[in-house]
Amino acid sequence: MRALVYSILIVLISLLVSSAQIKKDHSGQNITCETCHVCRVPTKDDPCLRACPRLLMIKQFPSPETGPDVVVMDDLTDRYMPGVFPHKLHAQMSEMTGGCIACHHYNTLGPILNCKECHSIKRKREDITKPDLKGAYHQQCLNCHRQWSHKTECVSCHEKKNGNTGLSVAQLISRFKNKSHPEVNKPDVIVYDTNYDKGKLVTFYHKEHSTLFGLKCIDCHNNENCIRCHDLQKKNKEQISGFDLPVKVQVSKEERHLKCFGCHANNKCSFCHSNEKMKPFDHKLRTGWALNRFHKKLSCIKCHGNKKSFTKLNSNCNNCHSGWTPETFNHKITGLVLDDNHSDIDCEECHLNRDFGNKPVCDNCHDDKNWPENKPGRMVE
Amino acid sequence: MATQNRRDFLKTATFLSASALSIPTTHAKASEPEALNENRMGVLVDTTVCIGCRNCEAACKEAHNLPMETSFNINNRDIFKLKRRPDETSLTVVNEYPNPKNKLLPTDVKVQCMHCDHPACVSACIVGAFTKHKNGAVTWDGSKCIGCRYCMVACPFQIPAFEYNKAIQPRIMKCDFCFERQSENKLPACVEICPTEALTFGKRKDLLEIARDRIKRRPERYINYIYGEHEVGGTSWLYLAGQKFSNLDFPVLGTEPAPGVTESIQHGIFAYFIPPIALYALLGGVMWINRRKNSEEEK
Repeated sequence: MRALVYSILIVLISLLVSSAQIKKDHSGQNITCETCHVCRVPTKDDPCLRACPRLLMIKQFPSPETGPDVVVMDDLTDRYMPGVFPHKLHAQMSEMTGGCIACHHYNTLGPILNCKECHSIKRKREDITKPDLKGAYHQQCLNCHRQWSHKTECVSCHEKKNGNTGLSVAQLISRFKNKSHPEVNKPDVIVYDTNYDKGKLVTFYHKEHSTLFGLKCIDCHNNENCIRCHDLQKKNKEQISGFDLPVKVQVSKEERHLKCFGCHANNKCSFCHSNEKMKPFDHKLRTGWALNRFHKKLSCIKCHGNKKSFTKLNSNCNNCHSGWTPETFNHKITGLVLDDNHSDIDCEECHLNRDFGNKPVCDNCHDDKNWPENKPGRMVE
Repeated sequence: MATQNRRDFLKTATFLSASALSIPTTHAKASEPEALNENRMGVLVDTTVCIGCRNCEAACKEAHNLPMETSFNINNRDIFKLKRRPDETSLTVVNEYPNPKNKLLPTDVKVQCMHCDHPACVSACIVGAFTKHKNGAVTWDGSKCIGCRYCMVACPFQIPAFEYNKAIQPRIMKCDFCFERQSENKLPACVEICPTEALTFGKRKDLLEIARDRIKRRPERYINYIYGEHEVGGTSWLYLAGQKFSNLDFPVLGTEPAPGVTESIQHGIFAYFIPPIALYALLGGVMWINRRKNSEEEK
């Protein structure tokens, strides 16, 4: 008898489970149901989701470009017009300010959840552990927007329902449709004014770090404040220019060094600190091995590998270029086909000390000839 | 000369002392508070979420039919240069303080009656015009008030205000936790209007849980303190902050209920009826000496 009751129960439960329309990408995750659900049989009507935060949730977000361009928020339109939220623009900005997770804070790996799936549209409600939808929206938006606009008036963001004088919802949607955040202006060099006695100035070659050293913006700018670029009280020009003058360091010593120590932990203070503006990184000065015009185009990691600190390499050509020996090297790839007189002599006859980065010398053999006026062969593309 | 003889006097004195001692002495300390309702309501004010929009001020005035002067403009942020207190026309005000963590995100603090669990105003009121309700609200009844303003002196948060400019029937004015709205199953006006839900309305015990959870989850955002949890024995309104409460003009108060202090002093004097008995004894002594003198003179 008891067995019968159990089997009926099991059948009923499995029926309930199958009717719950679990999406493939959602139930197939590599997490247990208990990570998100409190009850054994969650249904669509009663998903019995755990209270936020679901800290152990796996999170992976698609790129900002794959999300919606615009999201219209029209659940709370009692006094004001629906909010037209340029989602893509904000998603792109968020890449340097914490990422998608800044807003989609407790998302599952499945479909991206709307705010209202967790946040009730009613203020008077049972579960007060998380803010209602109005509170959640405003907490999320105003944290940046009141720094950006220096205002907290409702009408500085909302159009009034009666007597709307601004753009209509359709106009706003078309305004933000297909709009992307412009590329961020990057300084070439920033000079920081520090309090370090033995070297007040730190010259930071921003462009080198981002292009040569292969760093991505978010490697350093992972928790920026939007206000760093967006401030309605300042004009854009004011913020971008002025990098040439020493910038007073605002953050604590520890915080400032933390960003550099990822790579420069073993460098001496004088590597960065000096009393004068430093010259850009010069491979010959620092390492004694000048980069030729081909090597100059490469990012450091091409040769040195993607390590945090670059180590000295063997300067023999065939250390990187396998099979490049004086006998087999085809000089044509440098853009110069050597004539018969020159193709048989040693490399070091012209490239003293195997210094291939500097101009070759001719006066070992010639009294009256000089590079580049006289060429030991024929130039090709 | 004296009609009362010594025996009579002693008889009376003994009777008086006996009756004095027979008076119950349970009032020697502060009165035992009535049991607080476990499900009493409260509001959690998260000052890290408040944006200082002052919609609560306007909503409060509207809900209580208070005058809105033409100068009253919630969008005027210059008013934050002053530090205001609730008064007879504004039962709640928002003040702004610098935020050491981010100067662009100042800390805004809404001030109103804290609705103490052991309210000093209720205790100080000699006519019982104040009531601590089951739902946590502390309200004032104009029909009983005699305008002595003891409540204003007693309140550790200096909340009750008086309509000095009203000649006829001036009222004590303070936040009533929207008692009427609550009885209509509505939220307090300020809680309802708050755009960021910096004000969370709920059972006090739940709010404490929520507050502890927020502190635990965001230790970099909050200081580990819930103002109102223990202050003067606990208050219905609770506060979270990202910086020291003393920097935000919150008074530093003990955990003893405020009425306890005043009542202990008052009641302590009369403990075990010692002062009256001592007085009677002294008077009796004087009378006895006088009587002896008289009788000696007679002799």
